[in-house]
Amino acid sequence: MTDTRTTTLLAVSVATPIVLATVAVLAFSGLEIAGRTPSAIGPPRNIAEAVGMGAPSEVLRLLDFGDDPNRVLSVRREIISSTITRVTALEAAIWSHHREMMELLDRRGAIVDGDTRQHLICLTKDVGDADILAYLSGGREVECEQGRALAMVEERSRKSEQER
Amino acid sequence: MTRWAKLSYAYAALVAVGVAYFLLDLPIQVSDCYGNMVKAAKGTLSQLVASEFHQQSYLRPLGWAQIRILLDLSQGRYFEWFRWWHAVQIVLLFVLFLRLVRPRTLASAAVVPLGMAALIGMHTFAGTVRESMPVNMFLMVLICAFAATDLALGPPRLWRSIAAALLLVFATLSVESGILVAVVFVAAYLVGARGVSRVGVAMQVLLVIGYLVLRFGILHIGSPGLEERTSGFGFSRLDPSALIEKFGTHPLPFYAYNIASSLLSIVVSEPREGVWVATRDFLRGDTRVFQVFNIVASALGSALIVRYIWRRRREWLARRFDRSDQLVFIFLAMAGANATVSFAYTKDMILATAGGFYAAALTVAARDFIESMSGLSLARAIAPMLFLVLLSTTWALRAVNAHMGLRIAAVKVRTEWAYVDSWLKENPEVLSEPGAAEMKRHLQDDAVRIHPLRPKLAGRWLEWFND
Repeated sequence: MTDTRTTTLLAVSVATPIVLATVAVLAFSGLEIAGRTPSAIGPPRNIAEAVGMGAPSEVLRLLDFGDDPNRVLSVRREIISSTITRVTALEAAIWSHHREMMELLDRRGAIVDGDTRQHLICLTKDVGDADILAYLSGGREVECEQGRALAMVEERSRKSEQER
Repeated sequence: MTRWAKLSYAYAALVAVGVAYFLLDLPIQVSDCYGNMVKAAKGTLSQLVASEFHQQSYLRPLGWAQIRILLDLSQGRYFEWFRWWHAVQIVLLFVLFLRLVRPRTLASAAVVPLGMAALIGMHTFAGTVRESMPVNMFLMVLICAFAATDLALGPPRLWRSIAAALLLVFATLSVESGILVAVVFVAAYLVGARGVSRVGVAMQVLLVIGYLVLRFGILHIGSPGLEERTSGFGFSRLDPSALIEKFGTHPLPFYAYNIASSLLSIVVSEPREGVWVATRDFLRGDTRVFQVFNIVASALGSALIVRYIWRRRREWLARRFDRSDQLVFIFLAMAGANATVSFAYTKDMILATAGGFYAAALTVAARDFIESMSGLSLARAIAPMLFLVLLSTTWALRAVNAHMGLRIAAVKVRTEWAYVDSWLKENPEVLSEPGAAEMKRHLQDDAVRIHPLRPKLAGRWLEWFND
């Protein structure tokens, strides 16, 4: 009898933690299938959020669905910062600090004209990303009023917050 | 089949569902997959297989044949066929694992979760599910090695010897480490397993000799040299030029280092791919949680295996081996052989076969531990119980880590597909093949649009699972 009880207790000791972990994995999977992924920050709500979250595959998908990377969109505070909540996908790409992201948008024709490029270059200078700056400017020197582009984006975000 | 066996198979089915859920989130990769698929699609199957006998450094004609056959069967439904085939391989692996450890009693069924956690939680297993190539040959070799053990430990039959020979040819011509299948048959024979006859084992030896003659003497394929890849050494990775500078004229110390590193990696999960990562991070005061549970799990598991061998030493010396002894001995032989074939280049995934047998040996050793403690009073059983809880908890964390690793890999692969044009700039030859552009579009669609990114996880707990 002692043998059986001891064996059972030892068996439970070795099996329980791993079985619980398996149940946790299955529960996670089940909840995700039901559309409620635990501990997730949720899918990006628009292309600017996808860029800000550093999710290039989502960016590509949303571009294919016709999302406009030049449209100013709302992004949640946790995506870029609490003061930057209204940006275009192109602007968000600067804060992603991924040159490839900017290249991806550019390759898809998102930088439509010289003014857009100029704005992005100045914003990149304000935010500070040498790699993206080198890509956008192609190595040439571009004149910018320091802080102006960033102030414009911050002001836009502030207005939006106030309107809410 | 006893109720414990049924329960074990039911549990394995649940684990398979969990792994498959994460596995089916993983798109076909760009690097090592897309290019391979383009290459495999060229010409006819027989032309593909024939051309693989005339390559440099690698001899994998049947590996390429598997990719081609799946390609043809898929008729353009690449994701479905390749990813589901990967899931089927996992199911096959689990069934074979249970056939090896034979859970028939309470104690033997209770250690099945531990064994399966070790099987999928070992760092050597991660590459077999995170990478696909697009058919993962290292996973295939592990399956073949488990199947080989099943053949060897069964009752003597002529068909088993014939199947053993076919299995070795298939595994060896799929990927180089397939040669380890022969190690299973020889090791099993040495410890009294007669499922494959003496002639069958002799045939294995002859086939291995034949393979080596074919590879090095007739086809002059050779093997990859130091100049092929970066490799771990000490606390960092060395690129080919640094390797040649350091070991070019005298590579033997480097080879010995790789063998020793591989052995230690199997037993204590450190070093990893030749790099003493956890030690380095510890010295920097930057130890991560997963490093702790990886090493503790392996150290406790290995201690149990050593304990088992010590308890059985008299039987072993008297050459009296039961099935459990045979499994543990095959693990020891496989660890030595797998480490040895990693002499030129050690990588977690190459050690997958030894890692799989580690899980089997741990299962046997844990069962023996429970059975040997069953006579203790409840009060005296507290220390063994706590030991088992710690062992099981650390392996549970490693098993969860395996799933999280798949999740992270799924994000990385989708990022690869988003930036595939940059990759193609560096590999322009891929697009020059007929059908390559169409295949790229199709695979990118699969990865980005048809099976989009699942929600991004956040939280400090993720730092525990960032191996």
